Amino acid sequence: MEGSRNPDHDKTSFWKKNSKTVPGRPSPKKDVKSNVKPKVVGATSFQDFQASVSDAWAMDDDDFCIISGLESTKISKKVSQSAALNVLNSHRNSTDMPVTSNEKLEAVASYEVDYVRNNRIPGRPQQLRCLNPPQDEDSESKLERFESVLANPPSLPELCKLSWSGIPVKVRAITWRLLSGYLPINLERRSGVLERKRQDYWNLVEKYYYAEHDETNRDIQHQINIDVPRMNPSIPLFQQKTVQIMFERILFIWSIRHPASGYVQGINDLVTPFYVVFLQEFILDNQAFETFHVDTLTEEQLRIIEADSFWCLSKFLDGIQDNYVFAQVGIQRKVHQLEELIKRVDETLHRHLKQHNVSYLQFSFRWLNNLLTRELPLRCTIRLWDTYLAENDCFASFQLYVCASFLLYWKDDLMRQNDFQGLLLLLQNLPTQSWTSSQISILVAEAYKLKVMFADAPNHLQSNTGDS
Amino acid sequence: MSTKDDEYDYLFKVVLIGDSGVGKSNLLSRFTRNEFNLESKSTIGVEFATRSMQVDGKTIKAQIWDTAGQERYRAITAAYYRGAVGALLVYDIAKHLTYENVERWLRELRDHADQNIVIMLVGNKSDLRHLRAVLTEEAKAFAERNGLSFIETSALDSTNVDLAFQNILTEIYRIVSQKQIRDPPEGDTIRPQNVEPIDVKPTMNSDGVRKQCCQ
Repeated sequence: MEGSRNPDHDKTSFWKKNSKTVPGRPSPKKDVKSNVKPKVVGATSFQDFQASVSDAWAMDDDDFCIISGLESTKISKKVSQSAALNVLNSHRNSTDMPVTSNEKLEAVASYEVDYVRNNRIPGRPQQLRCLNPPQDEDSESKLERFESVLANPPSLPELCKLSWSGIPVKVRAITWRLLSGYLPINLERRSGVLERKRQDYWNLVEKYYYAEHDETNRDIQHQINIDVPRMNPSIPLFQQKTVQIMFERILFIWSIRHPASGYVQGINDLVTPFYVVFLQEFILDNQAFETFHVDTLTEEQLRIIEADSFWCLSKFLDGIQDNYVFAQVGIQRKVHQLEELIKRVDETLHRHLKQHNVSYLQFSFRWLNNLLTRELPLRCTIRLWDTYLAENDCFASFQLYVCASFLLYWKDDLMRQNDFQGLLLLLQNLPTQSWTSSQISILVAEAYKLKVMFADAPNHLQSNTGDS
Repeated sequence: MSTKDDEYDYLFKVVLIGDSGVGKSNLLSRFTRNEFNLESKSTIGVEFATRSMQVDGKTIKAQIWDTAGQERYRAITAAYYRGAVGALLVYDIAKHLTYENVERWLRELRDHADQNIVIMLVGNKSDLRHLRAVLTEEAKAFAERNGLSFIETSALDSTNVDLAFQNILTEIYRIVSQKQIRDPPEGDTIRPQNVEPIDVKPTMNSDGVRKQCCQ
C-alpha cells in the first residue's frame, strides 16, 4: 500500500507524512522503524500525547484521511465541530463509558501502554473503541470522497487507503471489483474487459458445469450440493433456488480450476460476501438483501452477479490456496503462528488457555478456514473484507493478526472461564450477533497494530513471510 | 475447576464421525441442548459439546467431538480420535452411499484411534421411512460382523438419541469398571477419579507422547 508517491500532492500518503504530528493512526512499517530509534522525541506520557492530538481522535476514519491533505482538502465545518465536541464529551465522560469497553481497553493495555511509552507509537485503535460511533463507512463525507476518487481513473493505492476503513455500500461493488484487480483502472478498458471476463465465465460454465462429470467432479458436485442449501439457514435470500444454483456453479467452476484443493467445505461461505455486494448493486432503495427476491432481477443482472462473484472470489482465494490443499498446511501453519503471536503479546491469556488444555487448533481452525465468516454476522464480514481487499496481497498474513485481535478482544470473558469446557464453548460461540462495523474497525485497527509491531521482527513468527 | 458441571465420576471422550450431511451435528445438538435445525451449517473442522448422564448411579460426563465429514478434513479430525474411548459412526438411512462408506470410516478409526475404542453404528434420519435406502437388518448384521453396537435414531423427532448415547456410555463404563476390578487403577490410563479422562485400555503403540484426552 505504501507507494512512493509525492506526499505533497497525494493526500493518501497521510500516514507516512503525518505520523509524527498526527499520530493515532496505526503507522506503516517504515515509520515504526524510525520511531523506534531513540532520537525520536515524542510526548512524555501517553496522556500528554493524547492531549496533543485530541482534536484528531474523535473523527471517524474517513475524516482522518481528510486531514492528511489539509492544504488541499476541505474539511466540513460541521464535521469538525461535531468531532471536536465528541472529543470533549468523551474525555469528560470517559469514566461513564460502558464497563465492557473499559474492560476491552484493559485487555490490551499492558503491552499497549508499554509499547506506546517505549516506542512512541500512539494507541490509535484504542481511541476508535471509545469514540467511533457505529457504522461509519456509509457517511456522506466518505461517500463523497469515494465518488470523487472513482470519477477519474483512481490510483489504486489511494483507493486502498480509502477502502481500508470501510467502503460505502453505494460504491462497494465497483470498489471491490477494482481492488480485486478484476475491473481495470483505465476507464476506457473497463466495459470491454468486464464483458469479456463475464463471457469467459459463462463459457466455463457451459463447457464444464453442464458437461458429463468424471468421478472426481461428481464428488465435488455432490459435496457442493450438500453444503449450499444449508449455507446461511437464517437468511431467506440463500434459501432461494435461483441463488443456490448460482452458488453451485460458482463453486464447481472454481473447484475444477483449482484441482490442488478442489472444493473444501467452508469455501461456500466465502462466496457470500461477494454475492451480496454484487447483488446490492441492483437492489434499490436500501431494501434489505436478506429478504430480497432475486427472481425480480433480469437474467442479465443475475449473470453479472454470478460471474463477478466468481472472478473476485478466485482472486481473493489466490493468496490462501494452501489453506485448502491436502492436510490444510496453510491453516496448520497459521494456527501455529497465532499461538506464537498470542504467547508474545498476551502471555496471561496464552497461559490461561494452555492451563486448561485448550489448543489453538480447537477454536482457530474454523476462524482461519472460513476467514471468520462463521464467527461474524454477514454485514460485519462484508465490512471486514473491505479491509482485506484493501490489504490486497498482504491479506493472507493480515488475516492472522485479525484473528489474534479477535481472540484478544474476548480476553476478559475468557479469563472468567475456569475450565476447558467453558472456554471451548465460549470460543465456539462468541457473542457477535449485535456487532456492527464499529467493532470491525476496532478489530482491524488492533490487527494493524500487531502487524506493525511484528513486521519489524519477522523472526517472531518464524514461518511468516507475508509482510513486506 | 469446581463448577457444578465438573462434578462427575467419569469423563469419556466420544467422537462423532461419518459422511457429510448424515446429521452428526444435529445428533449432538439434540443430545446436548435438545435442539434440531433442519438446515444446520456444515461443520468446519471439529466442534465440541458435552453432557452428563447417570449410569449405574455414577455421573458420566460425555465430552463429544463432532467432526466435519468431508475427506479434506481428515488430517485435522483424525487428531481428535486419539484418547477417544467411544465413536458414534453415523450414516443416513436414506442415503445408501453414506452406509457404504462406513467401512472407510472404520478403517479411519483403526488407523488413528485407540484399538479398543467402543464403536456404535448409528443409522440416523429414521423418520424418513418412505425414503429408506438401508435396511435395518442389513445394518444390524453388518454391525454384528464387525463387533459394533447398532441403533437407529432420528435427531429430528428425537427417537433413540438419548438412548444411543446412554448405550455407548454404559458400554464404555462397563469396560472401564470391569477393567478396574481386574487390575487396580494405578495403571497408566485408568483413573476413576474426577478430572482425568479415562481410556479403555492402554494403547499398544509405543510412539511416545500420548496426547491427553481432554481436561
